[in-house]
Amino acid sequence: MTAITRSLGNVSTVGKVVIPLLVLILVVGPLVTVLLATVIGPWVVGVANSNLGILRFVVAITGILLFSIPAAFIIIYMELKVIAYMNLRVGPNRVLPAGAAHSVIAGLKVLTKEDFSPTSADKTVFTWAPVMVFLTAVMTFMVIPFGPGLVGAPLNIGLLYLFAVGGMTVVGLLLAGWSSFNKYSLLGGLRSAAQVVSYEIPLTLSVVGLILLAGTLSIDSIARQQAGWVWDWFVFRQPLGALIFFIAGVAEANRTPFDLTEADSEIVAGFATEYSGMRFGFLFFAEYVNVFIMSALIVTMFFGAWNAPVDINAVLGFFHLAPFWVYLQPGELGLGLLLVIAVAPLLVTLALSAPVYLLRDSMPAWKALVVGFILFNLLVIGALGLAAYIDWDWVAGLVWFMLKAFIFVFVFVWMRGTFPRVRIDQLMGFAWKWLLPAALLNLFITAFAIVILKSAGIH
Amino acid sequence: MDQLWGNLWYVGGFAVAGTLFVFGTIGLAWLISHRTRGDEHKGYPYESGIDTFGDSHARFGISFYIYALMFVAFDVEIVFIFLWALIFSAATDPLVPFVSMLIFVAVLMLGLAYAWRKGVLSWR
Repeated sequence: MTAITRSLGNVSTVGKVVIPLLVLILVVGPLVTVLLATVIGPWVVGVANSNLGILRFVVAITGILLFSIPAAFIIIYMELKVIAYMNLRVGPNRVLPAGAAHSVIAGLKVLTKEDFSPTSADKTVFTWAPVMVFLTAVMTFMVIPFGPGLVGAPLNIGLLYLFAVGGMTVVGLLLAGWSSFNKYSLLGGLRSAAQVVSYEIPLTLSVVGLILLAGTLSIDSIARQQAGWVWDWFVFRQPLGALIFFIAGVAEANRTPFDLTEADSEIVAGFATEYSGMRFGFLFFAEYVNVFIMSALIVTMFFGAWNAPVDINAVLGFFHLAPFWVYLQPGELGLGLLLVIAVAPLLVTLALSAPVYLLRDSMPAWKALVVGFILFNLLVIGALGLAAYIDWDWVAGLVWFMLKAFIFVFVFVWMRGTFPRVRIDQLMGFAWKWLLPAALLNLFITAFAIVILKSAGIH
Repeated sequence: MDQLWGNLWYVGGFAVAGTLFVFGTIGLAWLISHRTRGDEHKGYPYESGIDTFGDSHARFGISFYIYALMFVAFDVEIVFIFLWALIFSAATDPLVPFVSMLIFVAVLMLGLAYAWRKGVLSWR
C-alpha cells in the first residue's frame, strides 16, 4: 500500500490527473460496452423499431434544422467573399484561412448581443414576427427533395402546400413592420407585403405549365420525371415558365434587384429597423435560408432536381458494359479480403511516401511516411466517396442537388454584386403588366401544345 | 385517406419543432447576452437620432390596399387553375377543358384590363 502511495507521490501533477482517468476508462469502458451490447442497445433498437414513424420525423426535422444553419453561414460567407472579389477587394480574411469562419463568428456575435424591444412596441407580436418568418422557411424545407427518398414528407399536394406556406412570409413581415411602432418599419413592412403579394401571382402561375406536363402536384414525382439526359429537364420544355419563376423567386426572396424591403438608402432597414440581437438574427437567418430554398426550388422544378445531367445507364448500355461494381464481390474474396485489409494500407502508404522521399532531399524518412499516410487516407476517403456515389442513389442525388442549388445561390449573389435596385413603381408595374400576362401566355402555349399533340396522336 | 393523414401530421410537427427551435435560441441568447437599462431615449422609435414626433403608425397610401385586394382575387383564381391543370392531361378530349379555361381566363383578364385602365397598376 505504501509503495503505491509513494510512487503516486512521485508523478507530476498532470500524471495525477491522467492515471486515475486511465484506470477509470479501463474499468468503465468495457463495462459500458458490455451494457450497451447486452441491455441498452437492444432496448433502444426495440423502441426505435416500434416507433419508426416518429423516429423518421425526428430525423427529418433535426436534419433540416441542422442543415439550415451551415447553409445560411455558407451563403453569407459566399456573399461577402464573392461580392468582395467582384469589387476588386479581398473581403474577410482574418478568421481561419481566407476568412472561412467569418460568418460563423458573426453569427455568434449576434447571439451575444442585447435583444431589445422598443418601449411602445407590441412585445408579443414583436417576438412572434421573426418566428413566423423563420417558420415559413422550415416548413417549406419539408417538401423539398434533396435526393431520392431524402425528403421531409413527400406530400402528394406538394406544390399547393409550397405556395400556401410560402405566402405566410407576408404575415411575418407585416407583423414585424406593424408591431415595431416605427415609421420606417411600417413602410418597410407594407412595401414587402405589397411586393411579395404581387410576385406571388406570377410565381404560382408559372408552374401551371409544369403541372400540365407532369400531371401531378407531387414535387417528388416532378423530380423523378426529369431523370435521364440534360434535355429531359423541364427547363427545355418550359423556358418561359422557368424564367418567370426565377424572376418572381428573386422578388419573393427579397433579393437584389428587388430588395425594396431593406432599401437602406430609403427606409433604413425596412421592417427590421427596430430589431436587435437574436430576433434580428432570425429575420436575416430566414432571408439567407430563403435564398437557398428559392435556388433549390428552381433546381427541383426546372433543372432536373437531383438527377445527373448524364444518363449513366444509357452510356454504359451503349458500350455494352455492366457497371463495374457488379463484378466486385467482397464476400467471394475469402482469404484475399484479409490480405487486402491487412497488407494494402501498408503497401500503399509505402508506395505513396516513396516518391515524396526520393524527390525532396531535405525530407526525413518519418516525414515522408506521414505524408504518405495522409495521402493514403485521402485516397481511401475518395474511394469510399466514389463507392457511396455509385452504390447509393441518394448520395449521388444529394451531390448533384447541392451542386446545382449552390450554382443558383451563386447567381443570386452575382446579381447582388451587379444589379442596381429598381424603383418601387417599376417593381409593381413589372409584376402586374409583364410577368402576369407572360405567365398566362405560357400556360396557354403549353395547353395548346398538349391539345395539338394529343389530336395528332403523339403522346 | 390514411396515406394523406400519415403525411399531414408532419406539417404540425414541423411548425411546433421550428417554433421551439426559434424560442430555444432566443432563450439561449437571453441567457448569455448583456443588458443595459439606458435612459428613456433608448426605448424611442429609431428616427435617425432625433426624438420621434407625430403618430408612429403614420398614414400610408391606399395603393397597398388595392394591391392586396387584387392579390386575393387572383390567388383564388389560381387555386381553380391548379386543379384544372391537374386533370387536363387525363382528359379524353383536351379541347373541352382548353376552351373552358380560355373563357375563365378571359374573364380574369377583363378584370385586369379594367384595373389597368383605371390606373391602379401604376404606382402613385
